[in-house]
Amino acid sequence: MIALVRYLFTVMLLSQRYLAPLLLFVGLLAVLTSSDSGPLAATYGSAAGGMLVCSVWLTMGLIGLEDQTHRSVVVVTAGSHLRVLLGSVGTAALWCLPLTAAGLVLPLLFGSHTFTFADAVLGTEAQLTCAFTGIAIGVLCSRLIFRRQGYALLLALVLLLAVLLAKGVSPVNVLLGDLQSASGSADVLGSTSALLAISAGVLAAAVTATHAISVRRS
Amino acid sequence: MLRCESVSKRYGKGRWILQDVDLEVSGGDVLALVGSNGSGKSTLLRLLVGLSQPTSGRVMGRPRHIGWVPDRFTAHERVSALSYLTHMGRIRGLSGPAARAKAGRLLDRLALVGGRDAALRTLSKGNAQKVALAQALLVEPALLVLDEPWSGLDASAHGVLAEFIAEVSAAGGAVVFTDHREAIAETHATGVHAISDGRVSPRSGPSQGGPVTEVEVVLTVPVTGAVPLEVNWYALPGVTDASRGENAIVLRVAREHSDTALLTALQHHWSVESLTRPGTGHASRSGARRAAL
Repeated sequence: MIALVRYLFTVMLLSQRYLAPLLLFVGLLAVLTSSDSGPLAATYGSAAGGMLVCSVWLTMGLIGLEDQTHRSVVVVTAGSHLRVLLGSVGTAALWCLPLTAAGLVLPLLFGSHTFTFADAVLGTEAQLTCAFTGIAIGVLCSRLIFRRQGYALLLALVLLLAVLLAKGVSPVNVLLGDLQSASGSADVLGSTSALLAISAGVLAAAVTATHAISVRRS
Repeated sequence: MLRCESVSKRYGKGRWILQDVDLEVSGGDVLALVGSNGSGKSTLLRLLVGLSQPTSGRVMGRPRHIGWVPDRFTAHERVSALSYLTHMGRIRGLSGPAARAKAGRLLDRLALVGGRDAALRTLSKGNAQKVALAQALLVEPALLVLDEPWSGLDASAHGVLAEFIAEVSAAGGAVVFTDHREAIAETHATGVHAISDGRVSPRSGPSQGGPVTEVEVVLTVPVTGAVPLEVNWYALPGVTDASRGENAIVLRVAREHSDTALLTALQHHWSVESLTRPGTGHASRSGARRAAL
């Protein structure tokens, strides 16, 4: 699996498809968190929102990178469709890690905050919750299911709106609500951990569904 | 080893591409699937390697190490050929240096033009196909499946491809390939199956049960001193090998196509020095050829 992730990571790196979502993420951070001096929980809520959009883009880009023939070679080499899909998800998650680091550090440079360890943990949890949900959406809207990118993009936008707006149902909506109203980072650490676990479950469900549909179609 | 039992396949509600296919491939077999374009050859290969699931029936006994060579390897990636092969070797469980060394040896044998460090996307179709062939052989495959492997490869790579197939078979691996030209299928395979109307049937004919008989033709420059014209020998039906010496060419050609090859040679001012029927074993083949040159 490490070799597979290494290969997919290299292909993504050389293709430079990561650049647009990365720049968008930094841009969103600059717009949403500059001159901000409020509690870091709300600031990291904004960073997590940016992560949601960028992780969808990264995942769709990563899976769409290889054409069907190349993917078939990788599938036979790796041994199964599922292994390659898991490798793609792992690679997308790996790409989200530097973004998470940027999301933790850049708000401190753009605004004026007092940074604590609890803030760092909360910021990481919040961004990973959104990254997992975003990867789940990206996998469902990837080329594995949609041959036509227009439909995939439309569905991605609809799903993004749904997870942002579905009150009380979506982990992202609950998370952003919690972070906006939190007075201190330590207060919402527990609930955010639970939301991170739920988003990991959402990702697992999306991977299962994508695998079932893509194998059925192959 | 690998067995298809009543395998049928269709995509969605479309037409049946394969119906009730029963097929068995054992280690050491070289099986050719022939059929016209769109007859379902590629679909059957995808089922064999596990890329596709049958709509009904089942495929059993798929080995762990499978080499898969697709018909088109439109490489658009920016990784170099050697780096790509090293990655593929690592995914197959080789260490980085071992994968790199094996990839280098395979590319040397295939005489990759364009440089092993050139990005895949800059390679021509034929050279990309050589990379596709090399990735399937990084680890000795127990099953090697090739989709139309002869198309796209240049003449010199044809001989290397035949050697690879013979080596995998000699090591106890099974080889399945498709081709729409029956002459090529019959020359290289120990068994030929035909696909038409979604059904697969063993081919009856002279090739059944063993490799087709070949003859070896030695052509030389005529004593009159006339300069023979260049001929693309591999373009002729049934020609499996064309080895060049200083003033001679040794052709290996299927017996039923030898007359065509001889006629072409004579028309291009070559002189026929000898025509022999060598043994059918792979070892004796290369031995006879070397002796003639």
